[in-house]
Order: sequence, then structure tokens, then C-alpha cells
Amino acid sequence: MITVKDLCKEFKNPDKSVNKVLKGINYEINKGEKIVVVGPSGSGKSTFLRCLNLLERPTSGHIIFDGLDITDRKTDINKVRERMGMVFQNFNLFNNLTVMDNLTLAPVKLKIMNETEAKEKATELLKRVNLLDKADVYPASLSGGQKQRIAIVRSLCMNPEVMLFDEPTSALDPEMVGEVLDVMKQLADDGMTMVVVTHEMGFAREVATKVLFMDYGNILEENTPQEFFSNPQSDRLKEFLSKVL
Amino acid sequence: MTLYERFVAAFIASDRWKLYISGVGITLEIALFAGILGMLIGNVVALMKLSQTEDGKPTILNYIATFYVDIIRGTPSVLQLLIMWFIIMASSNNGILVASLSFGINSGAYVSEIVRAGILAVDKGQMEAGRSLGLSKAATMYHIILPQAIKNIIPPLGNEFITLIKETAIVGYVSLSDLTRVANQVASRTYDAFMPLIGAAVIYFIIIKILTILLGVIERRLRKVDNR
Repeated sequence: MITVKDLCKEFKNPDKSVNKVLKGINYEINKGEKIVVVGPSGSGKSTFLRCLNLLERPTSGHIIFDGLDITDRKTDINKVRERMGMVFQNFNLFNNLTVMDNLTLAPVKLKIMNETEAKEKATELLKRVNLLDKADVYPASLSGGQKQRIAIVRSLCMNPEVMLFDEPTSALDPEMVGEVLDVMKQLADDGMTMVVVTHEMGFAREVATKVLFMDYGNILEENTPQEFFSNPQSDRLKEFLSKVL
Repeated sequence: MTLYERFVAAFIASDRWKLYISGVGITLEIALFAGILGMLIGNVVALMKLSQTEDGKPTILNYIATFYVDIIRGTPSVLQLLIMWFIIMASSNNGILVASLSFGINSGAYVSEIVRAGILAVDKGQMEAGRSLGLSKAATMYHIILPQAIKNIIPPLGNEFITLIKETAIVGYVSLSDLTRVANQVASRTYDAFMPLIGAAVIYFIIIKILTILLGVIERRLRKVDNR
């Protein structure tokens, strides 16, 4: 479904030196897979995820989504993004809109649904995450866990084919992590293709079809969750796991 | 002369109060036209300054906008007014039009920086969220960023308008009889500077005090929206 070829990303520092964040990543994500990416801070995992929908434009390499090279300048990236949902660490709900308007804005403006259909869809999804009573409030009055569940629903309103999660629980109070992970598990059970950058090893173990370990801009190790956690190959991963588990 | 006689000479004799009123009229007329023009220019220039290609490089619009802001901020407004009056629009004898244009173009540069700062102060995650849903940059700007930026923009914009009203006091240079020039003329007619100059100062003060109160009301309204 998504093929990543020789993906490189460099950032220029103010002193003109070059910071190589991704150093030639190759990977293939198939439909229905749940890929969980773990690794230390600064390993490039968030950048990798943000390249998948071109929030970061790769320095070189290709990303093929459903046969379409999205790194090609002629590709209409907005059309591609309609099919890829993204959930951010800081929720990024639209502060000037009510929850309902947050959910319906994109589907209606992009003419994917009319207003009635979008509202129906949003209502149904809000029910699923038990937040229907919040439909008419503004994001400022919600807790972090509620915001993140709404953010997930906002992406789902577009009927995406794949969902990208960028550390979705890292900005939450520990108490609220569970409610967000539950929604993500539900989504996984429904067969959604997911790419999740996270520090929640429990989630990786339980939900992932593959776990990737990234460090210094490379994928160092890739395995099924059982093998990944019980039988790590590289010393770097052994060291990492010994610290986080 | 008693204080009372000086007051009469400055404001009442020969219907001089009419001069002050027409002076206030000219001051406000120029400030209003210039303010509106400044806001139009300011918004367009701010968007030009913020425009960039998909990979974050500046565009040609960017350079034009920067050039405009640099020129305006780098020269005195009196000089800009004189250049407009004696050179660029030398064929026009409509002083109010020339002054409004000059001040509007001047104010536009400052407004553009206010608007730009207001837009940049909106969390960049808002733009990313909009784009990640497939909305274009323009659509996200219009539906998400600008409505939030307005809250940051209104207070300094009010400040800029207040500055603009006072800055019009230099239109005497192009022989417009605004409040300041009228007061000065009365002073030279009556050989008494105290009453007309202090009187003009009080009138400016009252106008701006009223504006300040209005702005306070608007700001409180905008903030209320945040506390819901």
C-alpha cells in the first residue's frame, strides 16, 4: 500500500551544517498492517512518519502510495492526504471551531460529503468514542484524552485508508492514556492500516503486526512483536529495551 | 487680558470654533481613509510576506513585500507626504486624497507587520492539521488560521490607528487645515499660543480616549470567546 524507497531527509542547521535525520529508509507497508515505530528521541521516527504524508518533504527518495509516487511534484498532495489520516502529539484541534465543526469542516469543504451526511457520520463516530455530549463545545473545554479522541474521530470522518499516529499519547496525563489507546485498538480491530510512532510498548506488543526500531535515521530492526521484545537481535535494541521495559 | 478674554479670542471671536470643527473633520477624514487603505494594503502585504513555496523557499511576492515595508519604514512620513504631494501626485490639487493615500501607504507597512505577527502567533500545528486532512493552504488559512489570528491582531491594530490619527498632524506641510494647523493659525492671528494649542491638545486627547475605551470593549469581547 505504501512503499518507501531510499528515503532521506536532511535539515540545514543555522550554521549551514547538515543534519541527516533519515538516511535512506526502505520499507513496505501492506494493507491492514499495524506498524509500530519505536526508538529513542531524535532517531527520526516522527520525521519518517511526517514524510509519509509529506508534512515534511523528503530530501531524496520516493514514497509510493497505492501506485502513486507522492514525492513527484506533479502529484496533487491534497488529494493523497484526503486518504491518509493523521493524529498529532498535540492534538491540533481547530480552536476556533466547535467539536462538530472540527469534524465536518474538511469532508464538507472538500466535497466528500454534504453537510447532512458529514454530521451523521460525525455523530456516529462521536457515539463510538462516547463523546457525543461534547459535539457543541469548543476544544478549550476538553481534557487531553477527550481532545485526542476527537482528533482521531476528525481523521476518521474523511474515511481514510491509512492512519498515521505521531506519539498520540505522549502529551497526555497518565490517566488518560488508556482511553486513547482503547480507541486505537478498536480501530485496529476494525482492520484499519495504521502506522504508529509511540513509546507505549504495551500497545506495540498487543496491537502491532510489525514493530520497527529506529535509531540514527535508520531502521535497525524489524520484527513481529513477540520476536521483537523477547528476542532482540542488535545490542542497540537490547540496550533500548532494557531501559524502557 | 484675563483668562476669559483669551479664551474668547481663541475660540469664540470671529466664529473661530468653526475652524476647529472643520480641522477635526479633516484630521478624522484623512485618518479614516488612510486607516481603511492601510488595512487593505497591510493584509495583502502580510500574506505576500508569508507566501512561500511548498518546500519553504521565499517567493517573488515575498521580496516585493519586504522591499515595500523596508522603504516605508526607512523614511520619515513627512518626507513621504511631501514626495506624494510635490512629485508623485503633483498634478492633483486634492490635498485630502493625496494625504490619505500617503498615510494609507505608510500605515499599510506597519499593519502588514501586525497582521504577519498575528498569523505567525497561531500554533503551527493548526496549519499542519488542516493540511493533513487534505485542505489546501489557502483554505486552512481562511477557515482556521485567520479567525484565530484576529484576536492577536485587533489590539495592536487599534494602537496603530491611534498613532495614525496623531500622525496626520503633519498635513499642514501640504497646506491642509487640520486641527493642528488651525490651532497654529489662530495662535498667530491672536498673538496668544496658549489657548489654541492647549485646546487642540485637549481635543486630540478626547478623541483618542474615546477610541481607547471602544477598543477596550472590543478586546474584552474577543477574549470572552476564549473563556467559553
